[in-house]
Amino acid sequence: MGLQPYLILAACLFTIGLFGVLTRRNAIGILLGIELMLNAVNVNLVAFARFTGETAGLIFALFTISITVAEVALGLAIVILIFRVRRTVEADNLDLLKG
Amino acid sequence: MTTLVLEVGLGLLMLGVFAVGLVTRGDERRIVGLLSAVGVLALAVGSFFLEASPAPARGAFVLDGLALFGKQLFLVATFIGILGSLSLPDPAFRRRAPEYYLLLLASLLGMLVLASARELILLFVAFELMSIPLYVLSGFLKREDVAVEAALKFFLVGTVSSAILAYGLSFVYGATGTTDLAGVARALAAPGPLLILGMLLVLAGFGFKIAAFPFHMWVPDTYEAASTPFVAWLSVAPKAAGFVAIFRVFLEGVGDPVALWVPIVAGLAAITMVAGNLMALPQRNSKRLLAYSGIAHIGYMLVGLAAVSASGTAMVLFYLVAYVFGNMGAFLVVESVAQAEGGSTHLDALRGLAQRSPLLALAMLLCLLSLGGIPFVAGFWAKLYVFWAAAQVGLYWLVLVGAVLTVVALFYYLILARRMYIEAPQRTGRIAVAPPLALAILICALGVVGLGVYPKPLVELTLRVANGLF
Repeated sequence: MGLQPYLILAACLFTIGLFGVLTRRNAIGILLGIELMLNAVNVNLVAFARFTGETAGLIFALFTISITVAEVALGLAIVILIFRVRRTVEADNLDLLKG
Repeated sequence: MTTLVLEVGLGLLMLGVFAVGLVTRGDERRIVGLLSAVGVLALAVGSFFLEASPAPARGAFVLDGLALFGKQLFLVATFIGILGSLSLPDPAFRRRAPEYYLLLLASLLGMLVLASARELILLFVAFELMSIPLYVLSGFLKREDVAVEAALKFFLVGTVSSAILAYGLSFVYGATGTTDLAGVARALAAPGPLLILGMLLVLAGFGFKIAAFPFHMWVPDTYEAASTPFVAWLSVAPKAAGFVAIFRVFLEGVGDPVALWVPIVAGLAAITMVAGNLMALPQRNSKRLLAYSGIAHIGYMLVGLAAVSASGTAMVLFYLVAYVFGNMGAFLVVESVAQAEGGSTHLDALRGLAQRSPLLALAMLLCLLSLGGIPFVAGFWAKLYVFWAAAQVGLYWLVLVGAVLTVVALFYYLILARRMYIEAPQRTGRIAVAPPLALAILICALGVVGLGVYPKPLVELTLRVANGLF
């Protein structure tokens, strides 16, 4: 298999993730979409590293994974906080700030 | 060794803040804020004694002119931001002071590293180190529903932008086979489709961070709900860091091929100026007004970037300095009025400010004039130079758009000034400003006036810095 199928797989993952971010009304669903987008990055990096023989991409992927974990942990913490003060995690109901 | 001295110093300061936070209890913890202020001041002063070394051909971490200029700017802005934060009335800022200052310093560390990064992985990690603490800080008052909502919005937009940035970086790496920015710059001489796609995604990712239109949605909400001194800092420091990163990736060593991006950046600049200024007009809340005007200012800076010349880059750097003083000053005056008015940041709170506190009103007026671009305050030179740089490369239409919108901006800034000077105050009584906050406002006002009266040294410095990139 060449490089192309991997890039297409990553592009599909990224698009599905972005679609989820834009259409989901639930904050957890949006977080899942972001997770998919970041995983597309990893697929890309690992595929490029495999086919160009340049190992820096593998290290990049490791860093991306750890940063993703930090971001999602923080995101879930914020979602829990918002559930505590507002009793909802539906994005449509979060409309105190407008204008 | 001296290359890393600021980062190591900041790391030690963070350890110190952490240790002091462990051994103090309750209200004693306010000392943490003082410690951070003194530490950052020492680092800022120290940074002016550092020598920039010309960038080596290779190397992931450099201390060239741009890096040093950026670091000095971030340190000064952070010092002003910390001074402003010292007198925050909410007890949470004293009880949980170690958290607040540690996060602020962590983000600052990210900015310092970002300014020096000439390697994609380091760039991305530094970018995230800068961004992640900001999400926590914007929701710092975790019992307040608006603050948490603002934090969620900021977080979602910020992480999506990080994902887009990382996706773009992965293509840049894949197309060039290297993570070294010097190698990327060489590859840009003959870009393939993958590289162009990657660079476009990277530009979009940075666009979110500097809040260019259409990536600006988080700005007004976050600014309105988060604590004002933090917002003052958030509105300048990460933006400046974003611009430094843009210069690194898109300009340094690239040469002619950057002309490819001119229409995109010029278009982005134009719609950002239009959107920011027009949306600022109907605002009734000072912080939202300043948020939208801040978006417009990013548009003006993008005008300088669109010029893709040494003078254009230099003028963006000059603009950033003027913007740091003008914008932070305006936000901090809003904060001191809000502290006297029980937290109100409505525009009406500023009514008759000149009668209640002439000095505060004068400082606000100077900052507004600078933001509006009136002669003999810093913002005038900033706008003039940016437009001049754009006109030099023939972007006359962009200069025209910018000039027309400057009039719109003056309109809402002067309405604010009218509220302070002509309208009668809602309440009487002097406004007492806490000493550190007053000092921060004084620094901003002096910076605005100083740069307005005598801009020459800074202009020469920025030109020297920018010439190193081309």
